[in-house]
Amino acid sequence: MKYNLELIKNKSRIIGFSTVLILLSLLGILYSTFNTSYKKPINLGMDFVGGNELRIERICKEECSNFSPDLVLENLRENSKNKNLLNNIKLQSQNNNKLISIRTPYLSIEESNNLISNLGNIIGPLNYESKDSRLIGPKLGKRLLTNCVTSLLVSLFAISLYITIRFDKKYALFALLALFHDLLIVFGIFSWLGIILSVEVNSLFAVSLLTIAGYSVNDTVVIFDRIRENLKSNKEGYNETIQLSVNESFRRTTFTSITTLIPLLSIILFGSYSLFWFSLALSLGIIVGSYSSILLAPSLLLKD
Amino acid sequence: MKRRQGWLFLIIFLLTLSIYLLINYPLQLGLDLQGGSQLTLQIIKEEGKVTRDELEAVNSVIDKRVNNLGVSESNLQTLGGDQLILELPGEQNPLVASRVLGKTALLEFRTQKEGTSTDLKTLQLKRLSIKELIEQYSLAEKSQNDNNLKVIQDDLKDIEQELNYSSTRNDLYGKLIEIKKYVDKEITNLFIKTDLSGKDLINAGRRQEQTNSNWEVLLTFSNSGGEKFAEITKSIAGTNQLLAIILDGESISEASVGNQFTSTGITGGSATISGNFSAENARELEVQLKGGSLPLPIEIVETNTIGALLGSKNILKSLYAAISGLIFVGIFMIFNYRILGFVSVLSLVLYGFFNLALYSLIPVTLTLPGISGLILSIGMAVDANILIFERIREELNDGNTLTRSIDSGFQRAISSIVDGHITTLLSCFVLFLLGTNFVKGFAATLGIGVLISLFTSLNCSKTILRFFTTYQSLRQKNLYLPRNNFSN
Repeated sequence: MKYNLELIKNKSRIIGFSTVLILLSLLGILYSTFNTSYKKPINLGMDFVGGNELRIERICKEECSNFSPDLVLENLRENSKNKNLLNNIKLQSQNNNKLISIRTPYLSIEESNNLISNLGNIIGPLNYESKDSRLIGPKLGKRLLTNCVTSLLVSLFAISLYITIRFDKKYALFALLALFHDLLIVFGIFSWLGIILSVEVNSLFAVSLLTIAGYSVNDTVVIFDRIRENLKSNKEGYNETIQLSVNESFRRTTFTSITTLIPLLSIILFGSYSLFWFSLALSLGIIVGSYSSILLAPSLLLKD
Repeated sequence: MKRRQGWLFLIIFLLTLSIYLLINYPLQLGLDLQGGSQLTLQIIKEEGKVTRDELEAVNSVIDKRVNNLGVSESNLQTLGGDQLILELPGEQNPLVASRVLGKTALLEFRTQKEGTSTDLKTLQLKRLSIKELIEQYSLAEKSQNDNNLKVIQDDLKDIEQELNYSSTRNDLYGKLIEIKKYVDKEITNLFIKTDLSGKDLINAGRRQEQTNSNWEVLLTFSNSGGEKFAEITKSIAGTNQLLAIILDGESISEASVGNQFTSTGITGGSATISGNFSAENARELEVQLKGGSLPLPIEIVETNTIGALLGSKNILKSLYAAISGLIFVGIFMIFNYRILGFVSVLSLVLYGFFNLALYSLIPVTLTLPGISGLILSIGMAVDANILIFERIREELNDGNTLTRSIDSGFQRAISSIVDGHITTLLSCFVLFLLGTNFVKGFAATLGIGVLISLFTSLNCSKTILRFFTTYQSLRQKNLYLPRNNFSN
């Protein structure tokens, strides 16, 4: 079973396809920056902008009764001292009305506890042991954001330095291009998810981008390694050797992607909700990363 | 062959050691998995960076306060040069901790400027009426009494006019607090600093007042502090100047010193503050004074409370997901690579044990991001095996003998594996250096995983494979290559 990907013939198609994907991502990023309520390239979650997230379970005998989130909010507002804060409050019920989650701007611990006890008066009894709350000050959020961006840039720099030393400048440049391509597309997909489904990104998303970076470079390096090895024996022409190398590593790259995707898919399907978007971002990154290392990066190496 | 057998014994030894470690030193679970609260404290400095000394000073004060609060099994660590992370496991309310820790608790003793008696009296009256207004406000707020709120607003306006100060806040509650702060500051300004401060304390305590149910806080001075206190009280004894005890810029007590102290001042090295404390307030002040004042103010920038219930649900769900995912990976490998696949499953089991053993040895606290790092590193370990097996398959297809194919397969895969692992290690290293606590957990498990993967895939897989091929019945080529691969 040999693979025969016609890389040389399809060079322009591959580059065209990637260009379309990149343009779509940029479109999402621009739309998100100028045409949404949050005015950011991506819908930044509480981890980056600060805020308060509470989750608590209700104690119900059999099934939890239905309630209207708007009515509960109305009640909460009447019982609260701080009218301004509660204007931006979001309340949701999950798990058949059993789990209540609330999002507000930044509150002090005291205010947050008051909120919970008020909530208990309205739709109690609540299981206080199940309370899950995160309070993030706006200062910390900003710091986290700059921290994530610097870590990403520094690790990209380190990786490109390593490739330049191990291979040469041209390889490093194309590996980096493929990498930016992957990161941009995953970022773009989440921009669109933010616009359409108001999905927010948190610090785990930053972690996933960093992981995708490492993974994508790893994939590309393995193929470049093969190309270098085959070029040394130099049986055929330059372009043919590249195509051969890609076909020789095709099985390995797809198998690796599949074995990495399997645990991620099981987390998406069965894991805890807190890891859902993280695993999704990683899976997308691995799919895009495999595509770019099998098809895009070697195509860029081809000579006209 | 002898060398390989040596490796086999080493692997068996390491496996036994790992199991021993795991039994005797159980894994540490992070708060997101076992439930509890985590507070992030940010040190605030207007100009310049927080120095190492300042960080350590803040750390030791917070540490003392936490200990005095009697929080069990708490964990305090510094982060990134100007932050502290306090972890309170289990069902402990972070509210009290946050109230006690957040205050600077700078204690000062000041004497009244001469000729300011009338000013002080006016301000004291204002302070009293503001306090009353604040109380009325919370009552009116509870009963939704708009009329009363209107009255409070008007009263506040009168006070503002008399003070010749107008507040900048928009909401009524914010205004009340702002005016109160202003009055506190004006009162403090009527007093002159002395060289006696919270630093001169050696202990603090509390007791209930005999006449009513209020509490008072007892201060015990050091020797030199006691002398300073005697001198200060001597200087104002019998005059109409008062002694103020000021906490964080707010005067909590103003008292006169009686005529009988004109010759020696108040000796004995102790003082009491009786400012209408409730039991809880008195205890909090006691803890703060015992711990000393913070050299720099801090702010609580993040609080994270995870219920023990949700914590254990998280771990179980993700654990099941990971295990089922890995079983599928094992099936995939055996299906595609037959005996080689079986070898990789064995070496992955070793990989798992070595990883977990290192977590308990170092120790690495296992959090949700940590678990995802582990799962991802397993992906890398499998990748290394695939790289090797693909090479072995190629060699076999070229008609080489089994032993030769295995040898050169490992040989030729090494460079790709090392390159891939080093790039991942580089990003882990950067993440660990620069990342926040959260990111660090991920980088740690991924980094450890990648390092162990180098050992298990290059060494354990090879050793196990060599061991298998010593049996004649396991040396048939078709056990290594699925049949359809022969015919290409």
